[in-house]
Amino acid sequence: MDLKKFGEWLKSLKNEGVEHLPVEERRSFLKLGLKVTGVFAGGTVLSLVSKVEEVFGAAPEYVDKFPYKPHYSMVLITDRCVDCQLCMDACVQTNHVPPYGWRTKIFERRLVVGPGETARQFMPVLCNHCNIPPCVRVCPTKATFKDKKTGIVRMNPKKCIGCKTCMVACPYNMRYFNEERRAVDKCDFCWESRLSKGEKLTACAAACPAGVRIFGDLSDPKSKVYKIVHDPSRVVWVLRPETGAKPNVFYTIDGLG
Amino acid sequence: MKRWLLLLIPFLISFFLYQPLWGQDEEDYPEEPIVFTKPVKAVVFDHKKHVEDAGLSCDDCHDELFEMAAGTAEENDDFNMEALYNGKYCGACHNGEMAFASNRKCTTCHIGVLGWQRMQGKGKKEEKHH
Repeated sequence: MDLKKFGEWLKSLKNEGVEHLPVEERRSFLKLGLKVTGVFAGGTVLSLVSKVEEVFGAAPEYVDKFPYKPHYSMVLITDRCVDCQLCMDACVQTNHVPPYGWRTKIFERRLVVGPGETARQFMPVLCNHCNIPPCVRVCPTKATFKDKKTGIVRMNPKKCIGCKTCMVACPYNMRYFNEERRAVDKCDFCWESRLSKGEKLTACAAACPAGVRIFGDLSDPKSKVYKIVHDPSRVVWVLRPETGAKPNVFYTIDGLG
Repeated sequence: MKRWLLLLIPFLISFFLYQPLWGQDEEDYPEEPIVFTKPVKAVVFDHKKHVEDAGLSCDDCHDELFEMAAGTAEENDDFNMEALYNGKYCGACHNGEMAFASNRKCTTCHIGVLGWQRMQGKGKKEEKHH
């Protein structure tokens, strides 16, 4: 291919940059019938109220039908969290996470609740098992992949060459390099350790004493996650919606003050 | 000689009234906040806040709700949220009437592992390896 043709071909490629994503993202949310009710934390957290039956974590082309069955998802009722870290302990035990690594973390922030008054809020974060996962997009060896049946973003450690590009691509910093396995490791919703063996809950959801982590099938209208995500009286949001990754981990509060 | 003794009596009486022979002085409470780590990590209790701001005295809580010796309540099997909702331990006041209810404002008392580490001066541990 001569240089001129190559240049034309380059120009004909669609720009995949993220600079225009926030607007488009908001528009696609609105297309889904969602109302933007507010922007928290410098615009990184969008609060949305579901107005229609369709799940808003899904990409527009998935509206009205769920791409996965079961469509595993987690809701975090974040103001119930007291940072006891029993979920983290259970995860480390179940999935043999080394002391330098993590599959889930708990962050802390101070919310201003009045003049000179602040409240502590803990925020558990894990792999969001995005519908459009940036980590899968960048993996050169397809070592990380989106499970076609369950939608879980999984790892094939044998294929991983340790380039760590996925770690950079992840909007949630939920990947680490496991020195022993010589491969990147991440949360797989306990697929290998529990779900594939017939368990119904992830280790973290089972260990939580405060009912923060609600795990279930988002395509099942009888499941708790479905009910919470589609409850019109609740404010439900996702982390970093501007990346366009369409996460399957949702956040809400019980309003415990 | 007898006159000298009579003069001493008012002094002795006032001394005993002012300084009880048993029990602690009202202002004499632990300065450092108490941290409970069982059954979950970690819950903070600040004597100063409860004595100075809320105006409680020692025998409002000791020894009926809590033993004086720190760490005694933690050893009890029923030292949990359920007991608090039933009016035991902190729940005696934290019932929504005297003080905010035990099932609200979780993170006011629950400082978590992060808060606990910070109190021990290990708060910077997380950021080190970056």
